[in-house]
Amino acid sequence: MRRRELAGAAPAGPSAKGYPEKLSSRALLWLMLAFAILVTPQWDRLPWWLLALCIVLASWRWLAQLGRVRLPGRLIRLAIMAAAIAVYVATVKGRFSVDTASSFFVLAVGLKWLETRTARDFYVLFFILVYLATVNFLFQQDIGWALLNLTGVTFLFIGLQVLNAPRLKGATWASWRRLGVMLLKTLPIVVLLFVFFPRMPPLWSVPLVSNQARTGISDTMTPGSISDLAQSSERAFRVTFGGKIPSHRDRYWRGLVLDQLEGETWVQGLRQPFERAGMVNIDGGIGALEDDEYDVLLEATNQRWAFALDGSMAVSGNLVSMDGDLFRLRRPADTAVRYRLAFEDSPEGVASVQPVLSPSEHRQYLQLPIKGNPRTRALARQWASEMDKPLELANRFLQRLKTDAYFYTLRPPTMPEDGIDALLFDVRRGFCAHYAGAMTFFLRAAGIPARVVVGYQGGSTGAGDEYLIVRQYDAHAWVEVWLSGSGWVRVDPTAAISPERIESGLRDAVAEEGSFLEDDWASPQRYGDIELIQWASLRLDMLNYQWTRWVVGYQGQSQMNLMSRLPGNLTLRELGYVTAGLIATALLVAAQVTAARQHRGRPSDPVRRSVDRWQRLLRRHGVKPVTGETPEQLARRASGQYPQARKLLHAFAALVNKHYYGAGDMTPADRRALKQLIPATRHAIKSRPGGSR
Amino acid sequence: MTSGLKARWNRWVSQRIPRSDSQRFHQRNIFILPSGAGVVFTVLLVIMLITGINYQNSLIYLLTFLLGAVFVAAMHQTHRNLAGFELTLVQPGEGFAGDEIPFVLRGSSPRDDAIAIAFTLPASSGVARRTIDTLTFMEGDTDDLTVLVPAPRRGLQGIDRLRVETGFPFGLLKAWSWMRPEGQGLVYPRPITPPLTMTDIGEGDESAQLRAAFGHDHAEIRPWRAGDMIQRVLWKRYARTGEMVIAKWEGDQGSPHWLDFSAFPGAEAELRLSYLTAQVLERDTAGQVFGLRLPGQVIEPDSGELHLRRCLRALALFGIHQPGTADASHLPSAQSARAAV
Repeated sequence: MRRRELAGAAPAGPSAKGYPEKLSSRALLWLMLAFAILVTPQWDRLPWWLLALCIVLASWRWLAQLGRVRLPGRLIRLAIMAAAIAVYVATVKGRFSVDTASSFFVLAVGLKWLETRTARDFYVLFFILVYLATVNFLFQQDIGWALLNLTGVTFLFIGLQVLNAPRLKGATWASWRRLGVMLLKTLPIVVLLFVFFPRMPPLWSVPLVSNQARTGISDTMTPGSISDLAQSSERAFRVTFGGKIPSHRDRYWRGLVLDQLEGETWVQGLRQPFERAGMVNIDGGIGALEDDEYDVLLEATNQRWAFALDGSMAVSGNLVSMDGDLFRLRRPADTAVRYRLAFEDSPEGVASVQPVLSPSEHRQYLQLPIKGNPRTRALARQWASEMDKPLELANRFLQRLKTDAYFYTLRPPTMPEDGIDALLFDVRRGFCAHYAGAMTFFLRAAGIPARVVVGYQGGSTGAGDEYLIVRQYDAHAWVEVWLSGSGWVRVDPTAAISPERIESGLRDAVAEEGSFLEDDWASPQRYGDIELIQWASLRLDMLNYQWTRWVVGYQGQSQMNLMSRLPGNLTLRELGYVTAGLIATALLVAAQVTAARQHRGRPSDPVRRSVDRWQRLLRRHGVKPVTGETPEQLARRASGQYPQARKLLHAFAALVNKHYYGAGDMTPADRRALKQLIPATRHAIKSRPGGSR
Repeated sequence: MTSGLKARWNRWVSQRIPRSDSQRFHQRNIFILPSGAGVVFTVLLVIMLITGINYQNSLIYLLTFLLGAVFVAAMHQTHRNLAGFELTLVQPGEGFAGDEIPFVLRGSSPRDDAIAIAFTLPASSGVARRTIDTLTFMEGDTDDLTVLVPAPRRGLQGIDRLRVETGFPFGLLKAWSWMRPEGQGLVYPRPITPPLTMTDIGEGDESAQLRAAFGHDHAEIRPWRAGDMIQRVLWKRYARTGEMVIAKWEGDQGSPHWLDFSAFPGAEAELRLSYLTAQVLERDTAGQVFGLRLPGQVIEPDSGELHLRRCLRALALFGIHQPGTADASHLPSAQSARAAV
């Protein structure tokens, strides 16, 4: 046995708060690791200087822990803090979104490193980092990121265990095991809570997660803009069809209409009416898909536009129909959004309403810059005088693209002045944006209303051909031309030049050129011809898609949908009761388990337990049992103090004697009596006040 | 109002946790509440839930439920960490008034790990709260812990309450209980060397002063320390060397064999006891035979360890009501003997 001689008043011991004063290096290391992990999901949105600052300050703190350097004094700390916050404010420029808030959390953690001296500081960092993990879920919901995030939180809890038992040797493995057991034990209740906790509508409107531009199509189009996008294999959206997946050439996902040419840039001329951002894009449609319905899971774009096939109508409540057969989300897609559309029943029925263009619209769709591209204008005027049917003119233009040597390329030369002239008459090499712009220009110059539509075209099927994945390189631009009598009709100049692009996608269209994803080394799509990579990447996408649809997307309506299938048809309020019941049950079970553990430590002999209780009772009332005393003696002494309980006390002692020293004639009734004597004795003792000490 | 509540609470706790030299912690005597960090953590959980609701983010719901479940599981863990832990008073301390007297306690955890158990003495009657130590008892471990208890007055000194607390594993909850040991330590009066019977501190030389004091030349001298009578300082020597020294008192007062309570006319009773204590100690060190006369109590002249203890004990408990039968077991020697069995 060791003996420890310790000065009780030694100031070096734990502080008055009960926390150890100096942080243990291991605890600090876990905290830093957790920070590194939890910052990772933010890396692409954080300013580089902030990441650098965090690394420098954390290293400083670590070196100080090792005793290599000293932590800075108050003045230097204040200076660093002021400088960092000034730079931060300058970067944010007053925009407020979760994005800027989360970078502020990161900044706060970074600055806090220099002040992390006590356990209290450790807890401050712990809380900020837990919330950072929460915020991370707003940005990234993929299964991989979710696991990474949870790992970071796990590290925090390991760090807490190390912090609270710094002197324990080899505690890390035990900490993992302890946490693992805790998580396993509570897993059922977590799952039940997840399913049954009522998904209330938002309590109040919250700021957008982010309002920074992301990779994706934008609301302007210059000749080169879409070929930039073609270098990215990021996912744009995924679609599940209730019926058959339409063929590749019919998959024109309309996003935006650009109807005004300013210099070289196509923009939205007809201003969209301003609409306040809604609370969230919930209500993405529930239940099994009908044959004519399809379900789009859009990745975050931070924009409002929703992509839809020709002739669709909105089914889910988070969509609004706009002019130009477009759809808009009620709130910018700051996180992944699911929405549902359906094909319109009968195209004939729609056509029966004679479409008309108002004079102002007519003017808008003929708008051109005052000058520029004279050769194109001249040719357009010439053709317009030769034929009067707009459709024929358009077809003749397409024919020219098809038969003359025009090329579809991701590497078009730059055409600085009169770009459309250069494209059509000299260079003859361009990407979809070039041709769509040029054709619209040409048609307008010929007096035919036309507009550019941007969106995506095609998409590849995911694992098992169950759904469609549309990626950024599927971005496309095409033309719609106004034909009086039939309305807007799609014409795609790219299809005339490179049918492969429309029939099977960009990869095949630029196969000869070898320019497909040439800058994106890490993308699995780049290696689409290697079967294993393709298979693995599709499996992973499938997993993520299911995860996003069923776990991430388990929200208000999907919960109600699930509940309506369960017996009992639970409403939100009843779900609240179920949740409360679940929590109560869990606590009760936990208490029972604790009690059961306690029980194991108690004497198994019920008489022994009764004697213990009896002695406790007497002790509480000032009669201390003495070691070696028989129950009789104790009863006698107690009777001296509480004569009114004399009979009961002696009866108890007699029964105890009978049990231990009797002839084995203790009956169950005796045992019951033994038990019942205790409350009776307590009552008797208390019946006359003054006896208690 | 609050002090009234506090008193009630203390009474309730005292009733809940009876005085005992051996305490096993279990469901009935363990208290558990969220710590400060735990309160902040629950607030954070609420904020997380609101974030999840407002952004309709399922994964945030999931994280919130997960952390909430961990919090509840931590409640169980923290409680379990303390439950089953046993604490026994092995040896109540002894010492002189004004010192801190050591109590030795033995902790053991027969069935479970008891990790990072913090021991503190709560603040009581003018004595500030003090932290003793934080110890870990792995399953089956036994370890001793020395608690230094300030003993301001002579007599019996117990530990009113020893707080036993743990926040392990996460520090988000604290489970605590108290040990209220029955055994009390003995506090002897603070030894104060009695002053000279100041008759003639003449203007003579130092040896004359010493002779006057002790009747011989062989007085030992020792440095002055707090509590010594200022008259006994050898001022001549101080003037010469700057050292404050006093003659070590070896003379007799009254009978050579008897130390008598009544030998210090004019002094207060407590002071007399302090004088007597100093005398007892000095006699014992010198190996002399002496007896002790206290009002109502006479200890016949003797010498040796046992005699010393009897005398010191008589001085410590002089005029103090002793609880009836139990006191014999409070003799430190008896206690150690019992513990050693």
